[in-house]
Amino acid sequence: MRDFDYIAPKSVEETIKVLSEYKDEAKIIAGGQSLLNILKQDLMAPEILVDIKHLSELDYITYDEKEGMRIGATTTHHAVEVSPLVIEHYPILSEMEHTLAFPQTRNWGTIGGNLCIQDPTGDVAPPLIALRATVKIVGPNGERILPMEDFSTDYYETVLEEDEILAEVRIPPMAPRTGVAYSKFRIVEGDAPIVGAAVAFTLNEDGTCADARIATNGTAPIPLRIPDAEAVFKGKKITDELIQEAVEVAGEAMECIPDIVASDEYKKRVAKVYIKRMARKALSQIQ
Amino acid sequence: MSEFSVIGKPVRRIDGLEKVTGAAQYTTDIKLPGMLIGKMLRSPHPHAKILNIDTSAAEKLLGVKAVITGPRDTLGVKYSNWRRYPHLMDETALAMDRVRYIGEPIAAVAAVDADVAEEALSLIEVEYEILPAVFDPLEAMKDGAPQIHEGPTVRNNVSEARHFEFGNVDEAFKKCDYVREDTFYLHPVIHAFIEPYNSVARYEGDGKLTIWTSTQTPYYIQTLLAMALGLKEGNIRVIKPHVGGGFGGKMELFSDQVVAAILSMKTGKPVKVELTREECFEGGRRRHPMYYTLKTGYMKDGTILAKEAKLYTDGGAYNAMGPTSLYLSGFFQMFPYAIPNYRYDGFHVYTNKTPATAMRGFGGPQAEFTCDSQIDMIAEHLGMDPAEIRLKNRMKPGHVIPGLAKVESCGIKECIERAMESTGWKEKKGKLPKGRGIGMGCYGFMSGGVFNWINSPYAYSGAMVRVNVDGTVDVYIGSAEIGQGSDTVAAQIVAEKLGVPMSDINVVRGDTRTCPPDLGAWGSRQTLMVGNALIMACDQILDKLYKTAAALMGPNVVYDYAAKDGRVFIKERPERGLDFVEVVKAAIRADEGNQLIGRGYYTPHDKGMVSPAYSFGAQVAEVEVDEETGKVTLLQVTTAHDCGQVINELGVEGQLEGAFVMGQGYTLSENLVTDQGKILNPSFVDYKLMRAPDVPENFTSLMVETYEPEGPFGAKEAGEGLTNPNAGCIANAIYDAIGVRITDMPITPEKILKALDEKKKKEAKG
Amino acid sequence: MKKILSFTLNGQPYEVAVKPKTTLIELIRDEIGLTGPKIGCNAGACGACTVLIDGKAVDSCSVLALQVEGHSVETVEGLADGDKLHPLQEAFLDDGGYQCGFCTPGMLMAAKSLLNENPDPSIHEIRHGLSGNLCRCTGYVRIIDSIHDAAQRMKKEGGEKS
Ligand SMILES: Cc1cc2nc3c(=O)[nH]c(=O)nc-3n(C[C@H](O)[C@H](O)[C@H](O)COP(=O)(O)OP(=O)(O)OC[C@H]3O[C@@H](n4cnc5c(N)ncnc54)[C@H](O)[C@@H]3O)c2cc1C
Ligand code: FES
Ligand code: FES
Repeated sequence: MRDFDYIAPKSVEETIKVLSEYKDEAKIIAGGQSLLNILKQDLMAPEILVDIKHLSELDYITYDEKEGMRIGATTTHHAVEVSPLVIEHYPILSEMEHTLAFPQTRNWGTIGGNLCIQDPTGDVAPPLIALRATVKIVGPNGERILPMEDFSTDYYETVLEEDEILAEVRIPPMAPRTGVAYSKFRIVEGDAPIVGAAVAFTLNEDGTCADARIATNGTAPIPLRIPDAEAVFKGKKITDELIQEAVEVAGEAMECIPDIVASDEYKKRVAKVYIKRMARKALSQIQ
Repeated sequence: MSEFSVIGKPVRRIDGLEKVTGAAQYTTDIKLPGMLIGKMLRSPHPHAKILNIDTSAAEKLLGVKAVITGPRDTLGVKYSNWRRYPHLMDETALAMDRVRYIGEPIAAVAAVDADVAEEALSLIEVEYEILPAVFDPLEAMKDGAPQIHEGPTVRNNVSEARHFEFGNVDEAFKKCDYVREDTFYLHPVIHAFIEPYNSVARYEGDGKLTIWTSTQTPYYIQTLLAMALGLKEGNIRVIKPHVGGGFGGKMELFSDQVVAAILSMKTGKPVKVELTREECFEGGRRRHPMYYTLKTGYMKDGTILAKEAKLYTDGGAYNAMGPTSLYLSGFFQMFPYAIPNYRYDGFHVYTNKTPATAMRGFGGPQAEFTCDSQIDMIAEHLGMDPAEIRLKNRMKPGHVIPGLAKVESCGIKECIERAMESTGWKEKKGKLPKGRGIGMGCYGFMSGGVFNWINSPYAYSGAMVRVNVDGTVDVYIGSAEIGQGSDTVAAQIVAEKLGVPMSDINVVRGDTRTCPPDLGAWGSRQTLMVGNALIMACDQILDKLYKTAAALMGPNVVYDYAAKDGRVFIKERPERGLDFVEVVKAAIRADEGNQLIGRGYYTPHDKGMVSPAYSFGAQVAEVEVDEETGKVTLLQVTTAHDCGQVINELGVEGQLEGAFVMGQGYTLSENLVTDQGKILNPSFVDYKLMRAPDVPENFTSLMVETYEPEGPFGAKEAGEGLTNPNAGCIANAIYDAIGVRITDMPITPEKILKALDEKKKKEAKG
Repeated sequence: MKKILSFTLNGQPYEVAVKPKTTLIELIRDEIGLTGPKIGCNAGACGACTVLIDGKAVDSCSVLALQVEGHSVETVEGLADGDKLHPLQEAFLDDGGYQCGFCTPGMLMAAKSLLNENPDPSIHEIRHGLSGNLCRCTGYVRIIDSIHDAAQRMKKEGGEKS
């Protein structure tokens, strides 16, 4: 690992100032769970690390009946996992966090860091997309809010400018008659996912589908929301046939990359299985 | 005298307290005053000539104390454990003029800290002439393939061929009702001990050197280091602190040891060389990939009459312990079955990859996967229960393998029967709901190799026991505790023999200066060999104590004596005896104050070519297969193991569980993936080891106790053999669950799905 | 370019100057000299370096030393209370929770973190709670049993006290 300087700003405001000053010479460190591995391999050599891990200003979980949930970017995975508010309102997020990486990673790594590293297999984004989450980005020119699915741009790339930070994740309240499920496939437990799928359904009173959301990980350079597959359900009664149809449509949208663990065809096939299973599971929560 | 005091009793290990408090010192924890950090430069090419190495810029860097290269700073001696067979010695500490795998060490530096050392490495310029490389043994054997080593005994990259044969195989095949031939492929995996390779060397001047190192074989390091450095063996002191696992991967002299020594000799300072995890992958060792062909002839009733095994092993760039893995794979291929006619041909082939070597099971895991898979295929063909066919063909006590081995104790029958009974085999086999299945694997393994590649003039194991005037006992052994619990077993054996409490035993170990030479920890040899040496040493002491007791008590001379529970007494009249300490004091006085010492050794005699004794076992696994993803989950695992007399039950169970889980990873998740000789997953993130949530929730170990006449108190090995049957056992359970058989390891979910697809296609065609 | 760091280690306050790139494990092992926590992978994948930060298990190879400013760090050396072993240590000794011992300091701390949060974990929860700790020797079975046993012992001890 190369030498670097280190600064721990006292506030978000000061953080933005430091970032604006150092531009691409600076790198944010939150929990460092991903970043330190990158630095150790000399894949990156920032002049200065800007530590936001200790900013209590960004470490919170709140819930409001109207606005929904807000999670600060430096909230640890573990805090999300065990938060009574999360368990009450979005149990799927707690479940997802419970199987993300290892207890050690969850105890120190942050939800913001996970989204910003933008590993295409990351666990956090798909369920957030299914929950219609947005992210709040803060920069020298103030804030901007983006839908979760628009945050990632490519492998390990996001919309963030050098002087911006991800500050908050916002999740709207769940509509009545909504079911959400997420799960992932891996060969060894505790391992990063090979692929995963999140599915959310909201039903009309008559039982037809008011809204569907499908998002996958490990199937494209970014967490993949699949609107074409979602559209299959709109206004219809959800049946196994319909799920199968959506799964096939979803398959068309995926561009899996083969690696040493699995081929692209295999990944796609398993991702489809997971969409099917999660669709059934989401549905079973409402029916 | 079957009532033991400490043998077979639950005792805490003698290294426990240190290990649970964090006080236990491993080589990596050693820090000496003025210590420098050494690092090695490694080849980025799988095969290249080294035209020039320019170290001048590195030498000028502030903080660099020495830079060494093979041709300039080493004797260039080719060494390895094969001192008795010099034509197999093919490796040097640093490359001399050619590199043969990615990761091969070329040069090394010693510097004030790791950062400077790293930077110095980046300043060393090496000029290469890239040579064509070959990565697959079958390719490497072809005419015109790149030749990785020259030499009179190497032809077409085959460095060693093994052949053994007995009975009349061809005739027997003719007599068989059926003959089938199957091919298999076994993939490479690594040892993955959690403590990386590391050493600290301190040159003391005057040709004397001390080295602390993470090794399974201190004596090998001592003698080979002497050879590599041109020093006297006795002037090299090898200290083996606690070792964080070995599994066969730490039983040779490695570059870190030689390089630390040379750097210390050059700088006059202690030097530590510690490999990173990535280096352990790239510059370490692995288990042999093998191409296996099995031809087996059998009768309608399931009797196996003849077997022919052929294998080509991907040895990597150097022999390492490959020739023995090759030999033993052919040998264990027979186990635990009585095969009357057998022919084996194995070829050890060089490739431009990391050298492969011994790894837990020593050729056995590959052999048993093929053997167990094929036996199940035969059983299916005949409509027999796979357990029945195993029982039918099993070895029996006293079994002789012509020219190779004599098996004294053998509890395989009891193992199979107990495993069947405990798992409800009869009710389950072929009858579980779809997607669930049960399978069996069996094995036999050695209790110590009869091999002396190193050409040691010493006994295989030595021991010295000294009883102090207060009755405490110092035990000097040269064996290597690497986590398996052998020091505790040694203490138990002495405590039992002398009748003293475990707390009075002090074991002196891990230092070649004070301990007797010993061949070290490999081939599951320590319990048997060190145990026998200790028994000999204790018997010498008891002889003196009994004579002293007789003189003190003055009973009729016909009586025999015994020592137990801190007393020496008349065997037939236990109430008549003396306090142990009293007798010890008297014995020492009677001998002019000479210390009360016993010396023992063990060298196997008349035990065939492989091992003095064999352990046996049967393994049953129940799996569930997700037919949509191909993922295999282990539901339940049962092992019945015959390790003779159990000395430490907790230890045996722990060894069995560890061996099983290693086998589970071998079968389902581990795979060292390479492309053009480059390892693509050299980290614990990408190389998939089993983790706690993956292991079966139900794990049952059943001890089948037999009495092994050659073993101390009748004991044999435990802990290595069980690595062998797992792959076959799991493969058989998968077949039972979903009707597909994978013969190409590892058994990944993707391969399972593919096989399921093909099966469906076939069924559709009818 | 070193910076001053204040934190507590096993209950003792420390003020040390460290380079920004020094990781917590390097600080603990190389500079302070506690060698209980081990380095198995230096990449957050094996858990041999596990320590507690404010009572929670963390891989100390994957945390910058400067990040523990103001925090309380605990290593295996702080587990026993003087001569009195922690029930986890007792249970590891009695139940064979270690072999080579190299993973043990990390295992014990991961276990402590688990029990801090969940004093009466099920076997399933223990298995899951150890997912970040590799052990190549034991196959985990005896480690899981040891932790289960320790929880029972602690319950008993707690019961006796109250
Ligand atoms: C061994 C291992 C296993 C893992 N397994 C999984 C897994 O199963 N599933 C999964 O989803 N993830 C997994 N991860 C990734 C893990 O979730 C992330 O490493 C962690 O959540 C990142 O958080 P952090 O706070 O440590 O980020 P850091 O490592 O500190 O930062 C990551 C990146 O994000 C940037 N960054 C961080 N916070 C912000 C912010 N607020 N604004 C702008 N930029 C920011 C940093 O500059 C850096 O580039 C694994 C990681 C490891 C090391
Ligand atoms: S050394 Fe820190 S997790 Fe492996
Ligand atoms: S006891 Fe050796 S790695 Fe766990």
